[in-house]
Amino acid sequence: MSRTIDLGLLLVDHQLLDSENRRCGNVDDLELEGGPGERLEVVAIVSGPGVWRRRAPLIGRLASWIGGGGTVRVPWEEVDQVAAHVKLRKRAETLGLGRGDDRLRPLIEKIPGADR
Amino acid sequence: MKIFQVALGILAAIGGFVDIGDLVFNVSAGATFGYELLWVVVIGVVGIIVYSEMCGRVAAVSGKAVFDAVRERLGFRTGLIALISAQVVNLMTLTAEVGGVAICLQLLSGLPYRWLILIAGIALALVVWITSFDWIERIFGYGGLCLLVFAVAAVKLHPGWGAVAHGFVPHVDTGSPLLYAYFAVGLLGAAMTPYEVYFYSSGAVEEQWGPKDLGLNKVNALIGYGLGGFLSFALMIVGGALFLGKGIEPEFLGSITLGAEVPLGQVGLLLALVGIVFAVGGAAIDTLFSGAYNLAQFLGWEWGRYRSPSGAPRFTLTWIVLLLLGLGAVMTGVDPVQLTEYAVIFSAVALPLTYIPILLVANDHAYMREYTNGRLANALGVLYLVVIVIISLTAVPLMILTNVGQN
Repeated sequence: MSRTIDLGLLLVDHQLLDSENRRCGNVDDLELEGGPGERLEVVAIVSGPGVWRRRAPLIGRLASWIGGGGTVRVPWEEVDQVAAHVKLRKRAETLGLGRGDDRLRPLIEKIPGADR
Repeated sequence: MKIFQVALGILAAIGGFVDIGDLVFNVSAGATFGYELLWVVVIGVVGIIVYSEMCGRVAAVSGKAVFDAVRERLGFRTGLIALISAQVVNLMTLTAEVGGVAICLQLLSGLPYRWLILIAGIALALVVWITSFDWIERIFGYGGLCLLVFAVAAVKLHPGWGAVAHGFVPHVDTGSPLLYAYFAVGLLGAAMTPYEVYFYSSGAVEEQWGPKDLGLNKVNALIGYGLGGFLSFALMIVGGALFLGKGIEPEFLGSITLGAEVPLGQVGLLLALVGIVFAVGGAAIDTLFSGAYNLAQFLGWEWGRYRSPSGAPRFTLTWIVLLLLGLGAVMTGVDPVQLTEYAVIFSAVALPLTYIPILLVANDHAYMREYTNGRLANALGVLYLVVIVIISLTAVPLMILTNVGQN
């Protein structure tokens, strides 16, 4: 089914959900392909602190540095649905998303009662 | 059964409406201007009803909480500025609330203040970690209902009811217009505290509200906040009846509780202190989680208080860090009441940055479909946008010109 998506309004800065509905980052940037006069295509979603430095000069750079500066590229084929949130076809782990939470989890689990 | 649940929710909302900002600003406004500013509280309460109804509706229909909308509509750069200002104000508020709890515990127990900060901090952490959120809302909401003692006190103090009624009519009749304006801005800021809306909209997403819950949303906003506003009136009337013209500035939480002690004796004092501990303690938990919600929503992290702490690790770490920062800040000995004034004034400054994105999303037919803002919601929404922008621009100048309400 094809429908028109306003990329700036309905895609960029939206929440990413993996196939299990886990929140796993935002659409921080888009990768487009096609030169002037050619058909322009979205080929990937880019997510992660590495993008932030481009999006806000000073504080973005600082935020990016605090966040570790990594980026994850999610090919457009992995996008299942664009609605209020952007739903992906695979699990976050498979796509390399949500790693911050995964890295921190063992630490939080050490606190008694953390998995109730 | 359903009505019973709604009633319980409303009771909790009334008890949860008043926080340290309302206590400080309503009683000091009463002490300085008597009942003259009651009409401003009405404007503030209607404002929070409009704003929270809209946030609840956006959350129910689109599944977006406030900082999802901020990120989407303001983009990364402006959104980040909104986030940072919200977090700074939130942390100030959290610090003030924890300090307020410790002061009341001190008045109740006589133990040293710093020990009580520690006890309050540990108690809050344990409650959040162990108790389910439904129970947290109930415990703090019902405990906060003890504040109704101020309504009884207001009647017992026999205020001139004619003057009270006159206070509800919008008017400016004062020799010190700047101070009057400062208190007006503070009262609006205290009534439209943004963390309440962050917390409310995130809760709606967590409880997976859908369009069927929009009735509940309206009732919660209208009656919960409406009746909560009733407590604000009582506080201002008590402040006016007791302190006006006596040269007493209620700059200590202890003098606020005098408002219940003078007309009602020891029982009044006890109820007032218990009510403040629960209302302000509940507000501390709300601010704590609001800070974690905002950061997680802006950065797309997993979040949720109904999730196990390890189900949303960065969210959990965020609130733990915020609690530690807040406790550290109270430990420095900063005066919670004074900090409250700054927190309320700065929250008024930051208000448009979260209000505007919500107004925009609530008007977006692509998400909101038949639940898009109607004429009434938009008329009120735009009217309050004007009010919010005015208080945002005037808050800091007024604070400086009046020396934080001192002259």
